Amino acid sequence: MTGDYGSFLAVGAAMFALGGVGFVTRRNMILIFLSAELMLHGVSLTLLTFGRMHGNLEGQSFTIFILTVAACEAALGLALILGLYQRTKSLDVELWSHLRESDLPPSVLELDKDQPPLEPESPEPPMPRLTKAGGVPIIDDDFPAELARTTDPRLIYTPSAPDEE
Amino acid sequence: MFAALGASAAGMWLATSPRAVRLRVIGATLASAGLIVAVTMFDGPSGELAQRIMFWLFAGAALVSGVCMVTSRDPVYAALWFALATLGVCGLFMLLGSPFLAAATIIVYAGAIIVTFLFVIMLAQQTGLSFYDQRARTPVMSVVASWLMLAAIMWTFQRVGAAPPPANEGPALVAGEIPNPLSRPADEATFHTLRSLGRSVFGDYLYAVEIAGTLLLVAGIGAIAIAPRRTEGTI
Amino acid sequence: MSPEAQHTILWLIPGAPLAAAIIIALLGPKWLGERSRWPCWIAQAISAVCALVLLANIVPNNWVQAADDNGPVGVVASGYTWLDLGQADDGGMQVRIDLRADAISALMLAMVTTVSFLVSVFAAGYMHGDRGFPRFFAAFSLFVFSMCMLVLSSNYLQLYIFWEGVGLCSYLLIGYWYERPAAAAAAKKAFVVNRIGDMGFILAIFLIWTSFNSLDFSSVLFDADQMRFALDQHPNRLAWVPFLLLIGAMAKSAQFPLHVWLPDAMEGPTPVSALIHAATMVTAGVYLIARSMPLFMNVPDAQVLVSVVGAVTALLTALIALTQNDLKRVLAYSTVSQLGFMFMALGVGAAGAHLATAGATAGMFHLFTHGFFKALLFLTAGSVMHSMGDVIDMRRFSGLRRALPITHWTFLCGAAALAGVPLLSGFWSKDEILVVLHEASEHPQYGNYFATIYWIATITAALTAFYTFRAYFMTFWGPERFPAEAGHHPHDAPPVMAWPLRLLAVAALGIGLVTGVTHWFARYLQHTPSMEPEEHMVFHVDLMVLSSAVALAGIAAAWWMYVRRTGVASGVASRAPFLYDLSAKKFFLDEIYNAVIVLPLRLVAKLMYLIDVFVIDRIVDTVGALPRLLSAGPRLLHAGFVSNYALMMWVGLLACLGYMLGLFS
Repeated sequence: MTGDYGSFLAVGAAMFALGGVGFVTRRNMILIFLSAELMLHGVSLTLLTFGRMHGNLEGQSFTIFILTVAACEAALGLALILGLYQRTKSLDVELWSHLRESDLPPSVLELDKDQPPLEPESPEPPMPRLTKAGGVPIIDDDFPAELARTTDPRLIYTPSAPDEE
Repeated sequence: MFAALGASAAGMWLATSPRAVRLRVIGATLASAGLIVAVTMFDGPSGELAQRIMFWLFAGAALVSGVCMVTSRDPVYAALWFALATLGVCGLFMLLGSPFLAAATIIVYAGAIIVTFLFVIMLAQQTGLSFYDQRARTPVMSVVASWLMLAAIMWTFQRVGAAPPPANEGPALVAGEIPNPLSRPADEATFHTLRSLGRSVFGDYLYAVEIAGTLLLVAGIGAIAIAPRRTEGTI
Repeated sequence: MSPEAQHTILWLIPGAPLAAAIIIALLGPKWLGERSRWPCWIAQAISAVCALVLLANIVPNNWVQAADDNGPVGVVASGYTWLDLGQADDGGMQVRIDLRADAISALMLAMVTTVSFLVSVFAAGYMHGDRGFPRFFAAFSLFVFSMCMLVLSSNYLQLYIFWEGVGLCSYLLIGYWYERPAAAAAAKKAFVVNRIGDMGFILAIFLIWTSFNSLDFSSVLFDADQMRFALDQHPNRLAWVPFLLLIGAMAKSAQFPLHVWLPDAMEGPTPVSALIHAATMVTAGVYLIARSMPLFMNVPDAQVLVSVVGAVTALLTALIALTQNDLKRVLAYSTVSQLGFMFMALGVGAAGAHLATAGATAGMFHLFTHGFFKALLFLTAGSVMHSMGDVIDMRRFSGLRRALPITHWTFLCGAAALAGVPLLSGFWSKDEILVVLHEASEHPQYGNYFATIYWIATITAALTAFYTFRAYFMTFWGPERFPAEAGHHPHDAPPVMAWPLRLLAVAALGIGLVTGVTHWFARYLQHTPSMEPEEHMVFHVDLMVLSSAVALAGIAAAWWMYVRRTGVASGVASRAPFLYDLSAKKFFLDEIYNAVIVLPLRLVAKLMYLIDVFVIDRIVDTVGALPRLLSAGPRLLHAGFVSNYALMMWVGLLACLGYMLGLFS
């Protein structure tokens, strides 16, 4: 077995798993962050235990770096959360789901049906759109229009008039 | 061990799903108890009684407050539970012979990070509990996945390492050369000292320390740049 | 004169218009505006002066670098290597951009630059107030540059490049009023028809390259040893070269059946018609054949074909010109007809080598005089248009001789010269063509051909006189009538337009007397390398009398039909409606081309379009649908929730852990 330190490792693993559950299940952005910190605790404990088992100090050194990175992460994360909060007046992470496929509903949770709408109050910021790639060429004017695949005037290529300045 | 883990998983499921308070308390208790029982399956510290008592105290505190933090419906309470879990983990650090790290973690987490988080929570949630804190997302899936991983890790710990690894040996990338020589104290007595940790950090990892310091600086500037509310966008 | 000075003058001829084109193109639209004419004028003037200096000095032998056994070879101002494909003896090719001047190019340049200077002066008045004024002068200068480079080329590839260059400028200037669908279509038509000729020309260049291993005029045309060697090695290839060159020349010089673009090209501004489509660019084909005469001399059949093409074109377009009511179109068809005359003359080499030089001389002489009087006629037509509010249909105005005196007198000079009134420039040059044709008809083998062509030429000369004066009488005689667009008091040409007209009128009247009677032109031209000097130069008085009688008869007929008995013309038209239609509708050539070439191509295009829509697009759509099908399930996971993504990461981590623990092996 792992000597005297097996139970330390087990506690570290359990902290890691608990943090993972929290990270996935919580919807409050701050608690998601805290769950990540809990996972970091588990990792730190495991590192320290291994260092102790091998009788060297590398585990402790690494833990110091973990502390440093956690501090950075907390500073930046909180700044970002504040910025997001200022836009939606809510810490709910599900308000920020603009990357979804556009035809999927904004939330799939049945439980939220009775709650206020999840869409943010501010209008969606303008996203860049790809330009249409070409269109159906018109080879001559008397060509029957129904043979063309589309009659949508936006899709039919017509050389645009020069801008009127 | 697997039975204990299964019980704790069921408890977690009860505790994270939206149910009555009583059921959630039962679930949290079950989850904590299951985890603690699973930990008992491993070899604890074999030293004197006081040390063993302290281990179980700290480990129990860390696990119970971890479970409570994840399942708590009130973010303020969750943050406080997290502080308690940090304290427990720091106790375990102490038992592992790194008093400096224990102190540093308490100072950084309990003293700085937790306070900042609480500050943000207070700032953001002045109207009391919000509905999104009452709802968990995909509790079953996440509990199953996490506990599967936990079981796999614990199973690995139990299976490997029939013999304790030889002391003072790390992974040697180059045969015949001891990597990071400053990180290997000469004897057990100097292991706990701050001096040997300093030699390791500022000796073997000097560049990494510098980079980490730069990272902190950049993060500080970034936080200052991002956070404030401005009338026209950010910087 | 030192070689440096010679080279400077040579480079200035094309260089000045190029500089003007660049300056106007860069600065014109924003800064210069109507002042764009100044760079153009100055450049054309420099170019013309340099060309005249060149003309005065290059012969006899002043500038000639080496007068060896082959006679004078001309002066070469070396430029740079434009295309380096390895050494020639390794099968590579080095194409240089050099300027090469000899007698024929000096004569051509003198005509081109003088006419273009006068036309540019006229154009400044004509284009006054147009929105694209700088664009016009930029393209105009670019055209003069390309034309000078074409004439000064030292090898076939350089000639081809600027052959395309003048084609491009012609396209730009025909389509100058690109808002008009007719102008855009005419520009496109000119471009497409010229492609056919360019195809022939470039194939000829390939064959020349493979036969001679060189494209330089000095080795292809002027080196008798090389020619003999190449004839020994590749007789079949060289037999094809003249025919292919002829195709190129036919398209550029608008010969039947590729003449259809030139009348349509009258959609461009009138100065463009005067310069490019009457005086200079369309004569490039004549220049090409005259220049390549040594290649043609090997293949008498090709030379006969040149004459036949010229004869058919001359007669056909003269018949079409009889009934056109658009003044510019009459002139356009007459241009095509006169180019046919030049082609007739160029082909007489088939009837004996001693006639080749005389034929080339006659053709080039007609080109030279025609450049002046046809430019004059077009410019006067432009002046009429300018006064009549852009109306050019002769049925809508008449009796303009009192309202537009300058235009009237200068038009009369040009028309008389074109009709071949004795002692005027057209008379001398046309007479020379008739003389060489007459001499060629005595050849035992090809004599019958040339006899026929001679009579066709005589008839065409009569027709020319008739339709030219028909246009003159319809425009300037009869009761005074103005179209509504002209306003009440049409004004005659302003000085900036009048002076070029006067100078060109003097040239049209006198250039024949100066250069024709004295045989100065012929003697000068025979300093060209590859042209045999001809000793006996005599006048055939009988032929002169005949052609004078023919011309005067044509003029008298026109006077009788359109001034004396005005009803006769319509009477003739109504009595032979089919013949009238045949001429008025241009022998239905456009319709025939439309039915034979355009419609099938259009059908093929529609078929291709259907294939594109129903076959290729379907295939592409099917391929495109495949990823969509495969992603139908996984995309449901892409719901945009952070927790979902975290869970997926977690599952992935689990899978990695399982792999490391050996669960999957």
